Amino acid sequence: MKPYRYERAEDISGAISALADEPEGAFLGGGTNIVDLMKLGVSTPDVLVDVRRLMSDDIEETEDGGVRIGAAVPNSDLAADPTIRTRYPALSEALLSGASGQLRNMATTGGNFLQRTRCVYFQDTTTPCNKREPGSGCSALDGYNKNHAILGSSEHCVATHPSDMAVAMAALDAFVVTHGPNGERRIPIEELHRLPGDEPERDTILEHGELITAVELPPMGFSSNSKYRKVRERASYAFALVSVAAAMDVEDGVVRDVRVALGGVAHKPWRATKVEEALRGEPVSEENFRAAAEIELSEAEPLSENAYKVPLARNVMVRTLSDLSGEGR
Amino acid sequence: MKAESAPTRERPKILPSNPGKIGESRPRADGVPKVRGEFEYSSDLRVDGMLWGATLRSPHPHANIWSIDTAEAEDMPGVYSVLTHEDVPGRKVYGMEVPDQPVLAWEHVRYEGEPIAVVAADHPETARRALEKIAVDYEILDPITDPAEALREDTPKLHLSGNVLKEVHIKHGDVEATADVVVSGEYEVGMQDQAFLGPESGMAVPDGRGGVDLFISTQWLHIDRDQIAESLDLPPEDVRLTLSGVGGAFGGREDLSMQIHSCMLALDAGRPVKMMYNREESFYGHVHRHPCKMEYEHGADREGNLVYVKARLVFDGGAYASSSNAVCLNAGTFACGPYDVPNARIDSYMLYTNNPPCGAMRGFGAVQVCFAHETQMDKLANKLGMNPVELRLKNAMKPGDKFPFGQTVPEPAPVAEILERVENMPMPEEEEIIGRDLRRLPGGVSNVTRGEGVKRGVGYAVGYKNIGFSAGFDDYSTASIALSVEDGEPIIYVHTAAAEVGQGGVTLQAQISRTELGVENVAVLPADTRIGSAGSTSASRQSYVTGGAVKMACEAVRGKVFERVREEFGDEFGGELSMEDGSVLAGNRRIVALAELLENGGIEETVVYRHKPTYPLDENGQGDAHFQFAFAAHRAVVEVDEELGLVRVVEIATAQDVGKIMNPQSLEGQIQGGVAQGLGLALLEEIQMKDGKVQNASFTDYLLPTILDMPPVRMEVLELADPDSPYGLKGVGEPPTISSTPAIVAALRDATGRELNRVPVKPEQLAGIEGEPIRRAPQPGSRGPVADDLGSEA
Ligand SMILES: Cc1cc2nc3c(=O)[nH]c(=O)nc-3n(C[C@H](O)[C@H](O)[C@H](O)COP(=O)(O)OP(=O)(O)OC[C@H]3O[C@@H](n4cnc5c(N)ncnc54)[C@H](O)[C@@H]3O)c2cc1C
Ligand code: SF4
Repeated sequence: MKPYRYERAEDISGAISALADEPEGAFLGGGTNIVDLMKLGVSTPDVLVDVRRLMSDDIEETEDGGVRIGAAVPNSDLAADPTIRTRYPALSEALLSGASGQLRNMATTGGNFLQRTRCVYFQDTTTPCNKREPGSGCSALDGYNKNHAILGSSEHCVATHPSDMAVAMAALDAFVVTHGPNGERRIPIEELHRLPGDEPERDTILEHGELITAVELPPMGFSSNSKYRKVRERASYAFALVSVAAAMDVEDGVVRDVRVALGGVAHKPWRATKVEEALRGEPVSEENFRAAAEIELSEAEPLSENAYKVPLARNVMVRTLSDLSGEGR
Repeated sequence: MKAESAPTRERPKILPSNPGKIGESRPRADGVPKVRGEFEYSSDLRVDGMLWGATLRSPHPHANIWSIDTAEAEDMPGVYSVLTHEDVPGRKVYGMEVPDQPVLAWEHVRYEGEPIAVVAADHPETARRALEKIAVDYEILDPITDPAEALREDTPKLHLSGNVLKEVHIKHGDVEATADVVVSGEYEVGMQDQAFLGPESGMAVPDGRGGVDLFISTQWLHIDRDQIAESLDLPPEDVRLTLSGVGGAFGGREDLSMQIHSCMLALDAGRPVKMMYNREESFYGHVHRHPCKMEYEHGADREGNLVYVKARLVFDGGAYASSSNAVCLNAGTFACGPYDVPNARIDSYMLYTNNPPCGAMRGFGAVQVCFAHETQMDKLANKLGMNPVELRLKNAMKPGDKFPFGQTVPEPAPVAEILERVENMPMPEEEEIIGRDLRRLPGGVSNVTRGEGVKRGVGYAVGYKNIGFSAGFDDYSTASIALSVEDGEPIIYVHTAAAEVGQGGVTLQAQISRTELGVENVAVLPADTRIGSAGSTSASRQSYVTGGAVKMACEAVRGKVFERVREEFGDEFGGELSMEDGSVLAGNRRIVALAELLENGGIEETVVYRHKPTYPLDENGQGDAHFQFAFAAHRAVVEVDEELGLVRVVEIATAQDVGKIMNPQSLEGQIQGGVAQGLGLALLEEIQMKDGKVQNASFTDYLLPTILDMPPVRMEVLELADPDSPYGLKGVGEPPTISSTPAIVAALRDATGRELNRVPVKPEQLAGIEGEPIRRAPQPGSRGPVADDLGSEA
């Protein structure tokens, strides 16, 4: 491991200035991802600025009826919070389906968004990887790519974003609040993560030294009718092959409104807007769900080993939507 | 051994609080310390002034080495020793059966991860950085990664001896026999890892007189010692090994890993050197289960009587020999399964490739063929319209039949009985799907089904395997028993070189000694090379062979005790002498307490125990190759989510003949652990290879079953004594792994109707959603454009 300096910032502005002159510095949340990557030689920060203590670890209801989550809230607390469990069950389920109890106790809400891909080549410094070393090539394109992206990838990178939580956040229209050298921003989750394009080294639109301080969930009348389903190869402690977060507002057998996001299929939590458009105002039926899912997936570009993800994503979407609509078999 | 050469503290003698007698459940002596984190594993070894060793490994699976430049690494502060092949004092290669593996590579590397140089430094990080300073000039060669390609005449040879490491041909009866009903198939087993939880580690301590002490986790101290001594060019007595805490083995510690390297570094630096692999390095540091492709043809008459079996087995041995020869032989001998097969033709090939070396793993060749022969039996039953258990019962081998390799099936061979038992065990209740706890649905807490698309299936399999070393190998163990008096109480010291790798051998040795000598206090001394070899803790053999040695040594001690009794008390006792509760009895009468009898000196006996001899196979693959066989049958009940391909194994039922239950709790542990490993092979565990490179050298990417994936195991255990073995016992460690895999896959076929000819089975195969790739892969490393004919399909 490369030697590094550890600092603890006192407040938000201190944290931001601590990284201002440190182009190779990084924030430290729960450390469950970045420390692993440092041991592997993938991340090589000169300085780690510990921000866990200076950010809020509260979950508060906001005036407009939404919820504001401090960036330091541990994943396990967020999952267990009664408001979240009743009003945003998909978020609670997503968190609980990730990692392990110990990891969730350490992992922070802010850090979870910014965890890096689990692409095996990204984590192996002896192999080419455009994300780790821009211009070196992408080993996954014709390599071991069964866990990789089917949507929105580029020839430069076909990695997926591994977070379960972020998929639920995408379906719930979350906003990420940040403080950075250029002030405060409120970023729709949709815009936080990028597609790889020709800059796969950039996972998000955040600037260097920009700190996530909170997440806001707007009020959504039907978010209590939401679910997260995750397909993985063993019963626990594995990343998603494909996952889906969805929320649905149904009245008299018609879809009034719906939110769908997919995990494990793209470089970012994939908001399935085509599914949503196709279903709004339509009667609930398994056929409609299937047709809508197929529209979204018609743009899929599976790789040598991950073509199964296309029908898998369809099947798990149909099932989740059927379940939410009360049409579950 | 000098005191200062010992690590941290005197190793405590392991005193099982109450070892009980054989047949009783006793917690393992190492159990509580392991659970409390107090057990000293070899990775915990530490001594003042020790250095840390590290290994430079080849990033290429196949390359010529033109030069190795270590100058810069040697100049680094904190670096004490940098060694290459030039520094190997003795034999530059090692290997248990065929010494073909370089201690440190020269001229060629033949697999990814092959060691090239080793470094000792004052800190692990210094050592790691020194490795980065070693310059190796490689000429990268195309790797040979497909055994079928390695077999072809025109393929370049990886070793002077050619690419065929071993072939075994078994001809039994009429090899041209034909039959009315024929089924055939091609089957494949992926590369499984032993995945022991304690990575390779140990510490070498120079004795200051040219010799070395090595504290090491291994399966066989003496074969390690002999190979180390050869390569260090030292007499064996100058290389002393002591077993350190072992965190699992499963065959993966039979070959050397860092043993010679750490000793070379310690002798060169004149300081103790510790080496410890991390998880990633561990994947390169030990052999794996052989991947195998198998072509089978079974012929039967219309009533379902087997007429012949033809099989062609092609194993990927990887870059070096390890124990591949024996695996090739074993697989050949067990290729037909535990059935009475009148005619057979088996061709078993073991190939060298540029994949990681493969070798011993629980089941040792029997696992691969069992998957194939059991799938074939199901296919045959299907074609005949017969119940698959009935077909198996009809063909089950019996004592007196001939194995395809010519040996007579010995008593007991309860194949039909264990099959009937698993068939008759109660079925797990079929729980209403609606309202079920999520953990009892496929996908578990991942919340993927409420029961939609879930189907149940049931499958059966039976398997068998030899116990111990076969085909003429001189298989023995050594034990020393010392009976003495301490603080007015008799105590037994048991000393063997048998490696406790987690199987419960230490507790068993104590139980045997206590049973034989009727003495409460038993201390099992650390296993080391001060005593003769115990052979390997593998092939399910230690309870038999070392258990036999301990029993025999106890009998020798008892003989001496009785001699003393007769010397002191004459020989008119009106009853047979026995030892019980620390005394010598005649009938029910107490003659003398051992504390008194042994006041002026204890008794110590050392014996060597051998089982009956075995013989190599002749050119037709015939011979009395094995001395004991163990049988198990499994029934699996599964539930499959047909749309998502997720599986819940509902229950495994098993019946196994163990001859004699020595420790019920240990036995249960062996059966459950073996089933877990079989389940892993059926559903999850595979080392993914691409162009000779391991793609998933971590436990995030190599998926082991967790406790949530493990079903309850319903077991029935038979105790049909083997007349030749100590207490009639049979080895128990491997059979649970052998037929659990095919039983699970049979159940998956029953649920889904799919063929499933390869393990591990993937979700997409089960759901029938493998799909077609669309994105064209550009050449490796290129940033070239994507092919423009991207179709669309959902
Ligand atoms: C074995 C294992 C299994 C796992 N399984 C899953 C799984 O199934 N599903 C899943 O979703 N996740 C899984 N995870 C990942 C886990 O969820 C993440 O590691 C965790 O959420 C990261 O949070 P952290 O606070 O520890 O982040 P850190 O490791 O501290 O930081 C991660 C990144 O975010 C940056 N950062 C941290 N906080 C902030 C902030 N407030 N503002 C700006 N930047 C910040 C850091 O600089 C770093 O780049 C697994 C992890 C492990 C080790
Ligand atoms: S998919 Fe992305 S992360 Fe993986 S090797 Fe290619 S560029 Fe690197």
